[in-house]
Formats: sequence, C-alpha cells, structure tokens
Amino acid sequence: MSLLVIEGLTLESSGQNLVSNLSLAVGPGARLGLIGESGSGKSLTALAAIGLLPPDISVKGSVRLDGKEVVGAREEELVPLRGAVAATVFQEPLTALDPLMKVGRQVAEPLVRRYRREGRALDRKAVAREVRSLLERVSLPDIDRIMNAYPYEISGGQRQRVAIAMALACRPKLLIADEPTTALDVTTQAEILELLSDLVRENGMALLFISHDLPVVARVVEEVAVLRRGELVEQGPVKTVFSAPSHDYTKTLVSAAAAFDQALEPIR
Amino acid sequence: MTVLAEPQAERTRRTRRSLTFSIGLILVGLHLAVALLTLVWTPYDPTGMAGGRLEAPSWAHPAGTDRLGRDLFTQIMIGSRIALVVGAGAVAIAAAIGVTLGVLAAFATRYLDDALAATFDILIAFPTLLLAMLVVAATGNASLLSAILALGIAISAIVARLTRILVKRVLAMDYITAARTAGSSWPSIVFRHVLPNIWPTLSVNFALQFGLAVIAEASLSYLGLGAPPPNASWGRLLQEAQGTVYTAPFGAVAPGLALVSLVIGMNLLADGLRDIGDPTRRRAR
Repeated sequence: MSLLVIEGLTLESSGQNLVSNLSLAVGPGARLGLIGESGSGKSLTALAAIGLLPPDISVKGSVRLDGKEVVGAREEELVPLRGAVAATVFQEPLTALDPLMKVGRQVAEPLVRRYRREGRALDRKAVAREVRSLLERVSLPDIDRIMNAYPYEISGGQRQRVAIAMALACRPKLLIADEPTTALDVTTQAEILELLSDLVRENGMALLFISHDLPVVARVVEEVAVLRRGELVEQGPVKTVFSAPSHDYTKTLVSAAAAFDQALEPIR
Repeated sequence: MTVLAEPQAERTRRTRRSLTFSIGLILVGLHLAVALLTLVWTPYDPTGMAGGRLEAPSWAHPAGTDRLGRDLFTQIMIGSRIALVVGAGAVAIAAAIGVTLGVLAAFATRYLDDALAATFDILIAFPTLLLAMLVVAATGNASLLSAILALGIAISAIVARLTRILVKRVLAMDYITAARTAGSSWPSIVFRHVLPNIWPTLSVNFALQFGLAVIAEASLSYLGLGAPPPNASWGRLLQEAQGTVYTAPFGAVAPGLALVSLVIGMNLLADGLRDIGDPTRRRAR
C-alpha cells in the first residue's frame, strides 16, 4: 500500500483552479520529485498532503496518508498523522524556526512527542542525548554551542540542517521537502542535497521532493512528476523524462536547463 | 560566536536604554520599598493629629500637614501602597481576561472573531476612566476592590485587542506551520510558541497599562469613587488639598510628584523590558 495517494485532487480559490485533477502516489521508500514553475501548485499539493491548506481554498478529490483520508478530516484526526507519517522541511530556514526558542529545545519538541507516541518513558538525559545525535547526523559542527543558540545566532545552512533534524526527530515514513535548498547558496545547496538523499536512503524513508530546479531534482529522486498550472503533464522515471521528454512543456524545461548549463560552461 | 565591533549608534542606543531602564527600576523600586515599609512602620499615625493644621514642609513633616493636622508624608507613603496594589491588581485582571479573550478571538471562526474584535474596539472607544466609573457604579459602593475590578475590566479590552492582533501575526509565521506539520496540537502551539513570542510586546504593554491604571485610580479617588478613607489614595489627597491650594500649595504638589514619579518609572521600565524579552536585542554573549 502506498504511503501517500492523491486522487483527482482539485484545489480552487475564488473561482480559480490552482490544482486540477491531480493524481499521484508515493510508496514506502520511494522518492518522487514534483517539479514545475512557481505558481504551478507544487507547494499547495504538499500542504494538501498533510491537511494544512489555508481555509479559503476549497478541496475536491481524495488524499490518503498511510491509508487515512485527509480531505475533510478533523484536526484531531490529522494531528496524529503529522510528524508520525509525514514530516516537512520548508524552503525558508530563516522563518521556519521559532526565533525565541533555543535550537536544542526546538529539536527536542518533536522528539518528546515521538517518545510519547511510542509510549517511551520521558527521560531528560535520553532526550538530550538523542537531540545531540540528531544534530550530529545532520553534520552540524560545534554542537554544544548550537544546542544553546537561538536561530538568529546560526547561519542559513545551519538552520536548514536544524529543520531537517527536527523532521528526522519525528521519524516519519514520508519526508516532504518543499524547495529545501532554494534559499541557500550553491555550495550549501549541494551539501544539503547530499545530506537529504543520504538520510532518506539510510532510514528507508519515502521522499516527496518539490522543486523548480531540474538538476537538483535529478540528484535526489528516481521518479518525477511535472506540474504546469496545476495540471500533471508528465510523469515517469527521471532518466526517461529528462532524456526523452514527451510533453512540450517538459521539453522546454529540459532544454532551458541544458541551455543554462551550456551558457555556464565557459566559466567553469 | 565572535562578537564583531558594534556600530557606534547601536552602542549609544543600548547605553541610553539601559540607563532609562535603571532609572525606571529605581523609581518603581523606591515606591515598592516605601509601600512595603508602610506595612510595618510609618513616621506618624496616618489617621491621628501629628501637628498643627496646614503646616508648611519642615524636617518634622517633610510634606507638611493637612487640614486636620495629619502628616501628609505618611499619607503619601501609604498612597504608594494603594497605587501599587491597584496597578498590579488591575493589570493582573486585565491580563487574565484580555489575553484569554484575545487568543480565543484569534482562533475563533470569522464571524465570532469579527464580533469580538468589534466589541473590543467599542469598549476601547470609551475612556478607561468612564468605563471604570460605570463598573464602580454597577458594583454599588466604592471600595479598593471595586476600583481594582473596574480598572481591570476597563483595561482588559485594550489587552484583548492587542493580544488578538499579536496572536494572528504569530499564527501566520512559518514556524507555526512547521510546528503543525511536525504534529504539534493547537494547545501546545499556543503555550510553546505563541505566548512566548507575544510576551515581549505584551509585557511592555502591561507596564504601560500599569501606569495608566495608577493615574485612573487617582482620578477615581479624586472623584470620590476610589478607595474610601482611611485608605490614603493620592487622588483623594489631591482632592482634599484642592480647597487650600493657595494657602498650602505643597499639599497638592507632594502627592502629584509621587504619582508622576511612579508613572514615569513604570514607563521607563516598559522601555527597558522590550530589550529583555527579545533575545535578538540582548547583548551578544
């Protein structure tokens, strides 16, 4: 059974179709990339997957997370799914962390929730130890300082690592990464991507990776779905879609990316 | 983290802020010390004759005496206690009612939220003093408790309105969405993320409202709606000194000075609190 099944999802706001009749599925351990230009409905799809759409958007169709229907579900039914089944890493690491909470405590929060979920005793020392090992796993340096630092005291790349550590603390079956590298500089981007794909493989998590950046997507996923103005135009294995795109829009995307690479060639 | 050299302007601003905070702390601390002292000791019996009538300030009577020959300085000292009790009580009530209603409004469905917001706005449109007078009139007889209750309820509308706006702003932040995606429930989000993030602004407002409550209590007492005698409220001292303001001006000046020093102290403290609540403004360690 697939972890995330989206069937005929249509999102509408004030008469405008934001996503139309979208269907996709992510199985356990699978890595799917969702690509498209800005405004194509990628991020809304991610929010719909965990039942966090803004209230002014009307939803039709079905979203099932680990077999449970999300569309129309009550908050109390959704809270246990979030974190446990799916956790999310967002685009902007600057604003995704609580500015008034020390990093150590922020990572501890989802961890404590997981301990409760698993019925484990809450031992402060054990929690602190695991926070530490989580921060180590996302390759943060100088952990003593970072645990006691406020988000404004660490760099953007470090914040994104903390956000990833928070998602890992949930130990989700599915990780949703919504443009996790867009706000970062190129070197940091590469590091975070490597980290993400390593972690996903190590933990056997499924991954829904959302991006507008083709080369980035190609590095971390095995299958892609191309979204244009809320409609799914093409889906298939990364190699097939990128080497032999069938839809005109995908062709434009691929050739634009290739042209961009070529333009950079002399500089490299 | 290495601390880089701060720009000069930033340093001056910090120094000035810590200075205003210190002055505020000293002024409020002084009133607090005096208020506590009156619980165990006063220079004279506040209700008994201590000297001649309407004596000018002297070493024996630093603020002179009133019409009945009572020592004014003693009464002003007791006035500190009344002012602090009323201020703290009113702010505590306003915080309890206002923060609860403000958070509820921010989470309510649209119509309920609109209705609550409109109610706050209408209540704020009435001057605090007028609202407080209405409440005192409704409770029947004027007492210290009715004054505290009246001011607390009147100020709670201001706190509720501010809280509602602050909560809405925090709820729109990405870290709230992030917390929700990680499986935080609403109550835990309110206590772990929302309240800590609105506290810096709220606490500054509480300190300002404290000053407002002290002035409003003096006004109520001046009008005879505050704490009745023998509670020596500054407002009542001012009212009593009014008839003899030409022959014994110090009877009005002294309670006035006491009132102003406490209110200014609270306002300076409010300024300093802004820095303490916000880690990004604290000195880098």
